[in-house]
Amino acid sequence: MSDRDVEVSRDEALALVAQGVENPPPGRRTNLLRRSLRLGRTKVGLVLVGFVVLLAVFGPVVAPHASDEFVGRPFSPPGGGLVFGTDYLGQDVLSRFLDGGLTILILALVSTAIGLVLGLAIGLVAAYSRNWLDDVLMRAMDVIMAFPQIMIALVAVSLIGTKNWVRVIAIALTTAPRVARVARGAAQPVIERDFIGATEAMGLSRVRIIGGELFPNILGPMMVEASLRLTYSIAVIAALAFLGLSNDPNGPNWGTMIQQNQGSLATQPWGALLPILAIALLTMGTGLIGDGIARTAAGIDRERGDE
Amino acid sequence: MVIGSQRPTRGRALQMTESGGTRWQLNERPERLFDSISRRNLLMGAGGVLLASGLAACGGSSPTPSAGGSTASAGTPKRGGNFRLGVTGGGSKDMMDGQNIVTKPDQARLMTAFETLLVFDDNYQLQTDGLAESVEADNPTQYTIKIRKGIDFQNGKPFTADDVIYSLQRIGTQGNGLTGYAATATMDIKHLKKVDKYTVQLPMLSPDSTVPQTLASYTFGMVPVGYEAYKGDPSTQVGTGCYILKSFTPGQESVHERNPNYWRGDGSPWFDTVTITDFNDSTAQLNALKGGQIDAMTDVPAGQVNAVQGSGIGILNSQTGGWIPLCMAIDMPPFDDPKVRQAFRLIIDRKAVLEQVGNGYGQIANDLYSPFDEGYDKSLPQREQDIEQAKSLLKAAGKEGLSVDLHTTNGAAGMVELASVFASQAKAAGVNVTVKNDPNYYGDSYLKLPFSVDFWGTRGYLNQVQQGSLPNSPYNETHWPPKSGTGSNFESLYKQALAETDSNKRIDIQHQMQQYEYDLGGYIIPYFNALIDGYGSGVTGLSPSKGTLNLASFGHGYRTIWFS
Amino acid sequence: MKWLRGGGIVGFIIRRILLGLLVMFLVSIIVFASTQALGDPARAILGRDATPDRLAALQKELNLDQNVVGQYFQWLSGLLHGNLGTSLASQQPVSNALGPRLVSSIVLVILAAVISIPLSIAIGSYAALHREKGFDTVVSNVMLALASLPEFVVALLLVILFSTSVFHWLPAISPVPPGHRAWEYPDELILPVLTLAFAVTPYVSRIMRASMIEVLESDYVEMARLKGLSERTVLYRHALPNAIGPVFQVAAISLAYLAGGIVVIEYVFNYPGIGSELVDAVVNHDIPVVQALAILIAGLYVLLNLLADVATILVTPRLRTRL
Repeated sequence: MSDRDVEVSRDEALALVAQGVENPPPGRRTNLLRRSLRLGRTKVGLVLVGFVVLLAVFGPVVAPHASDEFVGRPFSPPGGGLVFGTDYLGQDVLSRFLDGGLTILILALVSTAIGLVLGLAIGLVAAYSRNWLDDVLMRAMDVIMAFPQIMIALVAVSLIGTKNWVRVIAIALTTAPRVARVARGAAQPVIERDFIGATEAMGLSRVRIIGGELFPNILGPMMVEASLRLTYSIAVIAALAFLGLSNDPNGPNWGTMIQQNQGSLATQPWGALLPILAIALLTMGTGLIGDGIARTAAGIDRERGDE
Repeated sequence: MVIGSQRPTRGRALQMTESGGTRWQLNERPERLFDSISRRNLLMGAGGVLLASGLAACGGSSPTPSAGGSTASAGTPKRGGNFRLGVTGGGSKDMMDGQNIVTKPDQARLMTAFETLLVFDDNYQLQTDGLAESVEADNPTQYTIKIRKGIDFQNGKPFTADDVIYSLQRIGTQGNGLTGYAATATMDIKHLKKVDKYTVQLPMLSPDSTVPQTLASYTFGMVPVGYEAYKGDPSTQVGTGCYILKSFTPGQESVHERNPNYWRGDGSPWFDTVTITDFNDSTAQLNALKGGQIDAMTDVPAGQVNAVQGSGIGILNSQTGGWIPLCMAIDMPPFDDPKVRQAFRLIIDRKAVLEQVGNGYGQIANDLYSPFDEGYDKSLPQREQDIEQAKSLLKAAGKEGLSVDLHTTNGAAGMVELASVFASQAKAAGVNVTVKNDPNYYGDSYLKLPFSVDFWGTRGYLNQVQQGSLPNSPYNETHWPPKSGTGSNFESLYKQALAETDSNKRIDIQHQMQQYEYDLGGYIIPYFNALIDGYGSGVTGLSPSKGTLNLASFGHGYRTIWFS
Repeated sequence: MKWLRGGGIVGFIIRRILLGLLVMFLVSIIVFASTQALGDPARAILGRDATPDRLAALQKELNLDQNVVGQYFQWLSGLLHGNLGTSLASQQPVSNALGPRLVSSIVLVILAAVISIPLSIAIGSYAALHREKGFDTVVSNVMLALASLPEFVVALLLVILFSTSVFHWLPAISPVPPGHRAWEYPDELILPVLTLAFAVTPYVSRIMRASMIEVLESDYVEMARLKGLSERTVLYRHALPNAIGPVFQVAAISLAYLAGGIVVIEYVFNYPGIGSELVDAVVNHDIPVVQALAILIAGLYVLLNLLADVATILVTPRLRTRL
């Protein structure tokens, strides 16, 4: 997942959004979210995400054992009060699983949020300036996008260390260019609309124009992009942990758990299988939500196009 | 402090000694590893001349070396096949050098082509089964090495005294940076003398009874005059051993072909080729073994053994004297206070560690190394976890609520896990341990850290001291011995022991040295690990070994194993 | 400088190439600057055996005593002459090890592309033709699921399914021995290629579907139908060629993506490609290798993006007129 989902979602939603779309009356702006909720897939996505988030957030509270407590022989199958058996160090799989989601979630959310804000700002500024600044910014974005996200994260982590902020910054920095491209691409057609010219003539300050007029009109593609980026951030954070690059080798973390317990998949699969399933459900959920929003955006504008 | 060899009693017996420290608990000791049944005279020259000393290895010739997994009694060897071995721990830094290693793949490759003058057998006893006919001490400061006649190198050139001299001098040259360099400290390398084509005289700078063990250590491979480490040309890797290097891509694979002119003339070696493949991690290795893509692997993770045994894979479980210590630098805070060291040694729950990290495969240890050495002091009471005592020691030292970093890496199985388990155990004593897993561990700060994890293989006591417990030892993580006060005469005791020809007296000296280490040392040694290796059906000839290397010294240089 | 602004397709291509070179130049600076900060590589290589004299000798050999800018230009000129440097860890030229591994990775990528792109086109077209019916819904949901999953999750699930736990048809790892070509071990290629294909297919098939739908509803196709042409002809000769345009762009980007995605996948399968080499080099702080691989991958990305843009322009007539 990378540039191509930018292209795909952008193309799908934008191609239709940009075709003959009138400025929607103010009341319709927030309907996108609500309308998308009516779609089956968005609902399913929300359920999945909600379920996993609940697990991650409240899991630590209900975990029966401490995550580093020695409860039995390593890799014991379920039994004896341990619902999912033990892991590579004889720790309770269930407890570690319940403890292991929060880190991933928080890191992914924070890094995506930072990346979104950064990317949005850059993309809007670039689109609106329409001059040399636009070119410079976009070239800078191209340079960063020349590397796969995981590669930059890998190099950064090995350079500086396996600290949380390193991973967050690495992912945020590599998310921003992709978001910037979408934001810029979505904003450009809207800029060409008359009403922008009209509000400029009316003397509104640039900031108000950007914030007040531009932004709501690109909400659709941005929300799609946000969910796509979130999905990918989760994947990269988990992959980094899987490659062994987490800051606590025995910390409860779904990605690390998979790596630690991978070897016994044949006989005691739960240690690796539970986190695999959790990550899968989470990423599928965010993907569904994003897809639901995209379809709704496309649907709205299709309707409007027909009017 | 005198503890002596009292009968073990159950229950606690805490008493104050004169110096104010506390005597350790006495508990019944777990058993069996250290029984000394009989002593054998190990080194017989061709004329039956016994070595005066130098038997610092070998606890005893107990009949069953360890847990099991032997395939030795499986009939006559057969020729043929490509033996594929999977190893972890390597990478693009892989090397091939008859006298140097850094990682296990390096060990595996060294053993294909290079042999030593003397060898350790599976009971970690010295044997004259190697390239030398005899190694005798003429007097405490001179040895005579007689090599067998009729041995050729893999390129056809005869193995002679000149090669022995070149080999020893290569190791003894500091600039070469070879693994065995420190062990040559007592040898007068410059004055090695060729007596005749098959005899070399080795003068010593100071008396050293451990020379035969040194000569048996696997990094003392005999190489031809002019030999250099691998730099891209396989034909430079000429040894006396069973397999000739055909190709080598560091970090990936090496292929070795059978040496048709191998000197033993008993039909060995049996495989046509040996292929050694580097793996990223043990999961890939295990999958490959199960899938039949490799025939053997090193270091099956302890937690997988049960799973693996069910699927037709053989397990070679060798109880060795190898250890994974937690190392406290005795000259760096907070470990410069002996109370803190003692406290930490009481925090650790050795049984739990053995279960969690070794999955039960191993023997509980007592913070002392070289369990097979006849000088190993079995009378020292076995330490047990005592959190209360630890807390009070820390309090007395003014270090309640201590926070420390524990550095570790994936250098050997269990290093990272041990750190994690200790960190979680330490919480009970109010100590906050942060585990730092550094892939670049053996780089900048290695040997300069206050608290770290390391790994060692089986070694005799004096050899081990020389490698890790003296001020100029190459791998002295704990910065032992103390510079002043009790224990500061450790090095002079060592030198005395080296020179001592009466083994009883030497054992006494060793006991004294071990007493110091037991009371004040920087090592926390929870258990002696078992080397657990896996092999596919069809591989025959493997039997457990107490030695340092996996797969029973890689099938004794890939020589005593075959496909059935 | 007028040709920089106008000039039709040729001008466009030239502009993009120049842009690409500029990007590569900036990339090289970033790569160099960031990896020089990796700490003392001499120590990292010598590891446990770093004696002061060996350290000094190695540092001299690696030019670590020069100033940074000088080192950069030395490196750059070396690159342009095809000299990728010497690996710190193995002491051999980087290109020695890189060559075969690059080929191995390319084999994976090409096989994945060869399988996934036609498959995606077929799936996407079929789904578009039978829009909103059974096949479309099922496929669309499956594709969505696949697209969301991280690759190593897909890889491990495939390993569980086909290798270790459910069926035992395929090898769990793919260690192609050095000196051999990847295609000599076809059974080892199956799972990694499958994983990569699963990573790519959802996107390409989705864009194909969307594009196909748009084309099928276009006036152009309406005209063809009105002319009385058979549905088959309409599909293959009129709809498909027009729908395929965006697919090229996505396909090219997918290929570029795969070059990065293989990092984790090669690691899981122990496959000797540039992905696993990158992980190894980064962990070992083997700077020249990291630099060489970074430039290589970046170059690949830029090139493939360039191709993608050009292909799209060529295939989408209406964009051509805007140049």
